[in-house]
Amino acid sequence: MAKIRTIIVEDEAPARDIIRHYLKELEDIEVVAECADGFSGLKTISALKPDLVFLDIQMPRLTGVEMLEVMTEKPAIIFTTAFDQFALKAFELNAVDYILKPFPKRRFIEAVNKAVEKIRSGTENKEPAELLAKKPESAAPVNRIVVRKGSAINLIPVEQVKYVEAQDDYVMIHHSSGKALKQQTMKFYEENLPSKDFVRIHRSFIVRVQEINRIEPYEKDNHVAVLKSGEKLPVSRAGYKHLKEELSF
Amino acid sequence: MKHPVLENRVRFVVWWLVWLFVALGQALLFYFAYGTFLNISIVDSLLSLLIYSGIALSLWYPFNFFNTGQTKYLTILMNLVLTGAISIASWIMITRFIIPLILPGQQNFDEYWTATFPYRIGTGVFIYGLIILTYYLFMSLTNLSEKKSREAKLESLVKETELKMLRSQINPHFLFNSLNSVSSLTITDPDKARDMVIKLSEFMRYALSKKDEQPVTLRSELENLRLYLDIEKVRFGDRLSTEEKIEEKCFDVKMPVMMLQPLYENAIKHGVYESTEIVRIITSVKLIDGYMEIIISNNYDPAPEARKGTGTGLKNVVRRLELFYGNKSYMKTSGENGIFTVSLYIPADCK
Repeated sequence: MAKIRTIIVEDEAPARDIIRHYLKELEDIEVVAECADGFSGLKTISALKPDLVFLDIQMPRLTGVEMLEVMTEKPAIIFTTAFDQFALKAFELNAVDYILKPFPKRRFIEAVNKAVEKIRSGTENKEPAELLAKKPESAAPVNRIVVRKGSAINLIPVEQVKYVEAQDDYVMIHHSSGKALKQQTMKFYEENLPSKDFVRIHRSFIVRVQEINRIEPYEKDNHVAVLKSGEKLPVSRAGYKHLKEELSF
Repeated sequence: MKHPVLENRVRFVVWWLVWLFVALGQALLFYFAYGTFLNISIVDSLLSLLIYSGIALSLWYPFNFFNTGQTKYLTILMNLVLTGAISIASWIMITRFIIPLILPGQQNFDEYWTATFPYRIGTGVFIYGLIILTYYLFMSLTNLSEKKSREAKLESLVKETELKMLRSQINPHFLFNSLNSVSSLTITDPDKARDMVIKLSEFMRYALSKKDEQPVTLRSELENLRLYLDIEKVRFGDRLSTEEKIEEKCFDVKMPVMMLQPLYENAIKHGVYESTEIVRIITSVKLIDGYMEIIISNNYDPAPEARKGTGTGLKNVVRRLELFYGNKSYMKTSGENGIFTVSLYIPADCK
């Protein structure tokens, strides 16, 4: 049987050491690469297409969770983390397992066995969008959005986001230097973008309040929001009410 | 509440002097009003007021009792009137019984008694009123000062708790990741693992044991910080480097405990956590115009997409400085060209 090709993505050297050490004793596993930050982790994963990845959450440049958001082909993931278990619960289904550092060997082996079983049986990972939407309230507020454009990974600071538009199963993020498609739900952004800056004006639009230049009536009951850039976005009746509350006019 | 007279020697003496004075006054009054009964009136005045004084002393207890838990003024008033009636009646009866025993064979006693009886009632009521006023004044003054001291105590308790809360925030990321490093080192380098456990213990002991009210020297703060940074260096290896430029005379300046650690933690969180470059933390300390200036700077990734914290760590330091020094100390921060700097100014004369 082919060995399970594994990558360790973890920014602290001693933490990589112990994972490598535990894995050395397992005959099924072959460590093909080790990465010390999120970007190089992502690059290596798409280059080597491993079966299994040990993924730390807290890492420079890109967190483990953000990496998972933009991975196109998903290997089996085991999260390793020191203290993010609450944020992790939501990703539990998406990852094979998560282990809290420092972990006992028994717990580590258990997680690996789970992963091996899943890889051997060929079970597909679930789609992330529905799961990402379950992100609990206790998670840190969104202050950047990770998107993939071809093979490039971009981080869009929330301050640069002008509006978010629904597009089937995706959302289009319109920001100061272009737009980017992202697999995520409108509900997620409605709940996680800073509510003092963003208003949901329509089923398909969440807009930054400061970007609105004026609001014009449109047809008989409806309105449109004219942005500073000149773009016009529809405002639903409920959205008009939200805007009224937010801007108190 | 303690008895205002019996529990205090000075008040006890003053109490009896006042009564003696009143008794002499009354004796003189009786002498001029009923001159024929001079010897009786002197003995009577001294004796009767002595008795009344005893009764007055014991009145404290029922008064104190009426006031505890009673809020209805009518009930208190009824109690006071009833107690007054009983007290005055027993006083007059005791006096009536005792004086003939001390002055036997005074045939004109009955006549004297009848003549002074209305006056006795009047005096009894008047003095009773004075006693009520005295005791109640005492009670309210005591309550007031007790309330004040209670408030002061509460305030210091709140302050203490706040200081404790602001301080005891050891980052769980630091703790668990360090323990994970120890776990790893037990396999690869047991000596280093032991070394790290000892450093971690010393750091935790320092962080947990010191009392907030007792300032520490910069020297012991820096010693503790080196422990902290040594531990972090095991985690991050070459990615973290530190440098110190300290003026010799600053080492013995006192400052609040665990004040610098959050600043380093902040530097590591925004520097090392978010960057793959080497992060250099530079500490420089010098004395300027009676202030100890502590400057901690670190390079960081200034890109707008870099993750930002909530600023709690720095806010806590500012709040602690406020609680310790009022407005006599301050902190400022700046982030320019990828270098983040925190400057702390602490009064240097604070021993």
